[in-house]
Amino acid sequence: MTVLELDDVAVHFGGVRAVDGVSLRVEPGRIYGLLGPNGSGKSTLLAAVSGLVPLTRGSITYAGLSARRHSPAEVARSGVARTFQTVRLLADLTVLENVLLGTDRPGRFRAARRGRARAQRAAAMDALTRVGLDGSADRRPAELSYGMQRRVEIARAIAMSPHLLLLDEPVAGMNREERAEVRDVLCTLRGEGLTQLLVEHDVQMITDTCDEVVAMNSGTVIARGDPDDVVREPAVREAYLGKRWGRRADGG
Amino acid sequence: MSGVLGANSVLVQAMLVNLLLALSLQIPLRSGVFSFAGLGSYGLGAYTAAIVVLRFDHPALLALAEGVLLSGLVGVLLARLLRRLNGLYLGMASIAYGGILAVVVANGGALTGGAEGLYGVVADLGLTEITVIVLLVVVAVALSERGRTGRAVAAVREDPELAAAMGVDVARVRFVVLVAGCMVGGLAGGINAIMLTNVAPTDFGFHLAVLGLTMIIVGGARTWLGALVGAAIFTWLPIALQALGDWRTVVYGCLVAAVAVWAPHGLIGLAGQAVRAVRRSASRRKPPGPGAGRAPTGAAEVDLLAGEGVGASVGRPM
Repeated sequence: MTVLELDDVAVHFGGVRAVDGVSLRVEPGRIYGLLGPNGSGKSTLLAAVSGLVPLTRGSITYAGLSARRHSPAEVARSGVARTFQTVRLLADLTVLENVLLGTDRPGRFRAARRGRARAQRAAAMDALTRVGLDGSADRRPAELSYGMQRRVEIARAIAMSPHLLLLDEPVAGMNREERAEVRDVLCTLRGEGLTQLLVEHDVQMITDTCDEVVAMNSGTVIARGDPDDVVREPAVREAYLGKRWGRRADGG
Repeated sequence: MSGVLGANSVLVQAMLVNLLLALSLQIPLRSGVFSFAGLGSYGLGAYTAAIVVLRFDHPALLALAEGVLLSGLVGVLLARLLRRLNGLYLGMASIAYGGILAVVVANGGALTGGAEGLYGVVADLGLTEITVIVLLVVVAVALSERGRTGRAVAAVREDPELAAAMGVDVARVRFVVLVAGCMVGGLAGGINAIMLTNVAPTDFGFHLAVLGLTMIIVGGARTWLGALVGAAIFTWLPIALQALGDWRTVVYGCLVAAVAVWAPHGLIGLAGQAVRAVRRSASRRKPPGPGAGRAPTGAAEVDLLAGEGVGASVGRPM
């Protein structure tokens, strides 16, 4: 069963074709990587999948739900969680409360109506433990390092117990150890059957984590397939390094 | 009623009405909805209660309920009409509701008493009933600040896009808080009309918007406690400063400016900061337990520089 299907998706902002004719089938239990230089349309595509920007053309189907006809809240409630390119935590809430926001998704804990608050807290603490922040539950986001704040965002998304996790540059600003920790978390989640769509600039992170990669440039797909093959594609190197340096890297 | 409370019952009633007025603005503002519709509803609730008491002999509680219901219905229409507006534009559009209502009732003939308003609105509503009603509203508001609702409201205020991505129906939250603010405003107006036994078009002018905003700025806009503190201050302060005459206004102005500059989250926000600072300093004074020596933020060891032959770390004994 396909978790997510993008068919000829286009998002235009006036004359700017941020995404133009992208099609993709996302199978369950795999991590898909979206690779591409700045402005290639990766984050816009992620926003389109989560229903935050309207489609100019095409359709997105997630478990029978079309994001073109539904609000972002409905998409989220259907089991699509996401993190953002920049840290977006609520400064007035503690780390635990920020993660609890993820557990508030309607439909979660329906069976545990009586002990709902306790069940939500346990789920939030579990998500924090997964990203190694269970000791920081009572802190405010401002008291944490940037890398830790990003991990809180991941915990909040995990706490939604999603079927599909969209990650927009989740390791940006993190040091090597933190990146490795996040990579391990994502791989563990894949092992548990969680499908993920990962936007990332870090090629090492993409090749270490993803099962399949889609490379984009100027809103269109320029390569797709096995991560190691895609990063060696001349078109991908050219998109990142420019024509001259791309050819040199290829030994041309 | 005890002696002090009994002697000041009029002021206590005024404080309770001011508390409801402050809440009528604070409820939407807590979700980032800058709406003055509660002030127009204050007038609508006051006139509805006065008219049904005077013309139809309805008892006080029924009159209040009718005022709240009508305010809620108008709130629903307003929320639908103004749903695309935000920030200052919503503030201006919603404050016009009170202005339009004032003109309508001033020209309402015998039904509204015209420019002079309505007098002799006598109904049986004592301090105990008012206190119980206000208490119920405060409990409802306090509950809405906790748990799922509180988190959803905070998310809608701080980052609507994030809230939507978390599954919160942002439009619904904004709709509900605007209508709830209108209903609480209608209740405040109804109680005030019955308490003072009169109502006039000038009762819900611009001064009421200033008073309402001042109360929640000084007290704190994020919690019902802020509205309570603001209502208490601006009910009792005029009495305490009577000797100053016209200079009272200067004191008000200085107080509001000082709070806006040094305590942007109001006196309650300031108190919260102080409590957190005390807790932090108390936790620092605790004797170090196992794991002492790690970074104070709980951060894992962080390589600051990881070049060849260059290395530094935070949180790890060198």
